[in-house]
Amino acid sequence: MNERYQMKKRVMISVTVAAALAAASLVAVAPASNAAAKTITLAFQGPLTGEEASVGQDELAAMQYAIKLFNAKNKGKYKIKVVQADDQGDPAQSAKVAPGIASNKKIIGLVGAAYSGATIAALPYYKQRLLPMISPSATRVSITDPSAQGGAMGVPVFHRVPPTDKVQGPSLFKLATKGVSSPKVFVVDDQSAYGVGLVDYMKNSIPAGQSAGFDSVSDKTTDWSATIAKIKTAAANVVIYTGYFPQAAPFFKQLRDSGYTGILAGGDGVLSPTFLTLAPASVIEGVRLTAGTVPLAEIDAKLEADFKKKMGKSSGVYAAEAIDATNVFLSCVAKGVSTREAMLKCVKAYSGKSLTGSTIKFDAYGDVAGGVMNGFEVKGGVIKFTGPVG
Amino acid sequence: MINLRDKGAEIWENQGRVGRVVLALCGVTVVASLPFLGGTILNTPIADYESVLVYPIAMFVLMAIGLNIVIGKSGLLDLGYVAFFAIGAYTMGLLGTKTGLNTWEILPIGIAMAMFSGIILGIPALKLRGDYLAIITLGFGEIVRIVALNLGALGRSEGILNIPTPPAIFGIEYTFDSHRIYYWTLLVLILLAIWMVRRLSARRAGRAWESIRQDEDAAELLGVPTFRYKIWAFVLGASVGGAAGVFYASKTLFIAPDNFTLQISILILACVVFGGMGNIWGVILGAVILGYLPDRIRFISDARLLVFGLVLVIMMNLRPDGLLPRKKREKTIDKKDAT
Amino acid sequence: MIGSFLDQFWSLTFGGLSLGFIYILIALGYTMVYGVLRMINFANSEIFMVGTFATIIIIRDVFKFTQTSEYATGFRLWLILATALIFAMMVSGTLSMIVEIVAYRRLRRMNSGVLAPLISAIGVSMVLAESVRILTDSRPVASPRAMEKRFIGQFFDAGIRIDNTIIVISALVLFGILMSFVNKTRMGKAIRAVSMNPNAARLMGINIDGVVSATFLVGGLMTGAAGFFYVLKYENTASNIGFELGIAAFTAAILGGIGNIKGAFFGGLALGLLETYASFFLGTQWKAVTVFIVLVLVLYTRPNGLFGEALTQTRA
Repeated sequence: MNERYQMKKRVMISVTVAAALAAASLVAVAPASNAAAKTITLAFQGPLTGEEASVGQDELAAMQYAIKLFNAKNKGKYKIKVVQADDQGDPAQSAKVAPGIASNKKIIGLVGAAYSGATIAALPYYKQRLLPMISPSATRVSITDPSAQGGAMGVPVFHRVPPTDKVQGPSLFKLATKGVSSPKVFVVDDQSAYGVGLVDYMKNSIPAGQSAGFDSVSDKTTDWSATIAKIKTAAANVVIYTGYFPQAAPFFKQLRDSGYTGILAGGDGVLSPTFLTLAPASVIEGVRLTAGTVPLAEIDAKLEADFKKKMGKSSGVYAAEAIDATNVFLSCVAKGVSTREAMLKCVKAYSGKSLTGSTIKFDAYGDVAGGVMNGFEVKGGVIKFTGPVG
Repeated sequence: MINLRDKGAEIWENQGRVGRVVLALCGVTVVASLPFLGGTILNTPIADYESVLVYPIAMFVLMAIGLNIVIGKSGLLDLGYVAFFAIGAYTMGLLGTKTGLNTWEILPIGIAMAMFSGIILGIPALKLRGDYLAIITLGFGEIVRIVALNLGALGRSEGILNIPTPPAIFGIEYTFDSHRIYYWTLLVLILLAIWMVRRLSARRAGRAWESIRQDEDAAELLGVPTFRYKIWAFVLGASVGGAAGVFYASKTLFIAPDNFTLQISILILACVVFGGMGNIWGVILGAVILGYLPDRIRFISDARLLVFGLVLVIMMNLRPDGLLPRKKREKTIDKKDAT
Repeated sequence: MIGSFLDQFWSLTFGGLSLGFIYILIALGYTMVYGVLRMINFANSEIFMVGTFATIIIIRDVFKFTQTSEYATGFRLWLILATALIFAMMVSGTLSMIVEIVAYRRLRRMNSGVLAPLISAIGVSMVLAESVRILTDSRPVASPRAMEKRFIGQFFDAGIRIDNTIIVISALVLFGILMSFVNKTRMGKAIRAVSMNPNAARLMGINIDGVVSATFLVGGLMTGAAGFFYVLKYENTASNIGFELGIAAFTAAILGGIGNIKGAFFGGLALGLLETYASFFLGTQWKAVTVFIVLVLVLYTRPNGLFGEALTQTRA
């Protein structure tokens, strides 16, 4: 059954990709249309400079890629502008960028913010001016949770493509321990709201006697020997890291080099093509990962190649999410939407396919209904899709 | 280059009482009308001009004035000033969400907390000199952030949400987006801080700080209780930082440890030195420029921090005493050790 | 807890020691400059960062290693390691001299005090970090593994790994060379003279600019070597690694007594061990807090650090 699902999904993906590529290749042939192009302004908010810049730069590239494909398809009918709102991933920066974006009436949709903290700081302004936002990577539960402190603070403007930490936490645990007869799980977070949140939601799903311990390590750490000593002391056979790939790679590497032979697992923060370049193939072989969507190369190698050709670099962690988020806005633009009110309505009513072929339809709080986590494994130097974590 | 500082002082000193009042009023009016100049060349691309005026500009000015008491006046190198800002902000965040107290009631508590932590840090740290003090204060700034990051009561990395805005005062309403009102309130706080610093500088404390900065040993021998005055400078500086923090938290509604990194301490220090250490007008100018610049040059997006760094290097080389340096006779001092 | 600590004692100690030796080399960059100029060289952390990239350029781009390459062995391995080490040291040393010219020289001649150069050095470090960030697309960069990380021996329960051994031995050698440079050579004596009394040194005919340049060069060489060892051990770098390690190394320098070469040595070792033990006992998140509390206690009882200030006290 699982296999059939996968097959179906594969076919779907290939069709989507083929269509996209075909559309893209048409551009080269079609001369630029002379008719007056309709100018539409979107915005991207995320860290574009400073320490966290890689996340934002990757998402921005994915957004621009989606726009390129869209322009190719519509042969110059629209002129899509992207305002780059750099928040450095920092709530304080976000709070001063957001009023500017919110009061710029030309902007009718915002992809972002990339980070949950920045999203929360920006929300009051976007809500006041009803600017629809779709985030590719802000997965903190409280933004859309009606029972959280402040009660679903994102309603009505906030939407997001990826499933929340609430879905991912337990799934990650399930995937990491799959096929292990007596798991002893050691969980390490990176002290970020993302990493700590994942652990919080994972904790409830860990059966008694399967936990070997927790550690919380700053994302600036370079030497992991103390954490490794704890893991060895606890005799763990499954290690889960909830953080991002720049730290995951050195951590896994040092852990393996110390003689650890158990399972390594991580969340969507680790799922990046760059992750593969950061450690020797032998170290990361078999690393298990969860994510809401799929890296472009895994969806289709041709898609990744096309991305690389057009954007001049390989795609990043949340590339598929950023493309999906942009596509929601763009499909509304294609329907003739040109104001925020219409855009918000259109996003709320949107129902369409993601890059991977799953359905994107937002619920009342802005989450994609029935978000499913996918499982991955590093095999032979590539990240392989292993089916949904059920 | 003409010496702006001396020029300004000359004009000021040549005025009578009436002239000074008129000058001061003109100055305040010009500064207070800044929020109305959003449509002009001053406008910042992308970031909202009026909120840039509040944070970083006005906040930086306030903190730079506070830090200037510590560094400029008494010559103590403090690299962890953000700690006091954070303590003020977390006091506001915690009390504002957990108790019924409002911003105006929390303001003195936040200031007191910052001053108290100033004493706690100051007593061991001020026994040390120069660069050792720098690293201890730097460490303290990091400790405050790390504690906030790891204590459940402080919300860990998720921070504190839904911090209330200040209640109306004198019929003025505060909402999260009334940037102008916040700006004007901060202006009042800044004027208060300037007044405080000027009063103190002209009195016993000011003379004591000056003597400590010039030569601590000589001051000690002449009977100046140097340690006590150093603590005083430290605590006063902390109080200004605390006040800024309280107000900041009730403006942004949401604080997290990420808002209080070491980079802020360094940036405020840069404001002080860049503007002209020891001269309050220079410090204010420095804070305005360094707060404003990164947002004004957003159009160069990717390279803007690079350009910011270049500006620091070039300006320090051209004007090592800052844009508006302190009076010549006060300058001797820091040169002692230089080769 | 104690029982498990004893189990892990030796592997923790080895981890802490090899980290400590990297700290020592970076701390030397701070301490040399401080000894002569009485100024914190804030850009040293970025000089280190550039050193790590220089190493990776040699391993990845000159010798064409990839993450799937076969490990190098024998003569070729030593050739690669030596080339990378020398290249990293040269790049960092040169950069360090440039930093001195850009950020310090003019200000030094103007007798501008200590804060103006501090800010201009902060400016330089921002420029360096941001330039590298833009060049690397804001991504971390990994060094392919050129040397197999095998265990060459066993000490109680802990395996002794080859890379850690190389780091400790070569850092010791470099440190020895530095000590004899400062104590025996003409330039070393000039550096000590300037450190002791710049005015007297100038009157004795010592070229102060030359001495300061040489100091920055030596500090940069050591920091560059640290960059190489860092890549050898951790095999990763990024444009933003300088800041955190720089602060740690600076702490190490202060702990031992800044300006004192021996102080940097013991300060670095003490810090490496302290961080590792504290992370194990108190949780990694309290590491920095522990370090600073210990630092305050040390400075409170010994106000000039464990070994006192000044390069002049380095007589063995």
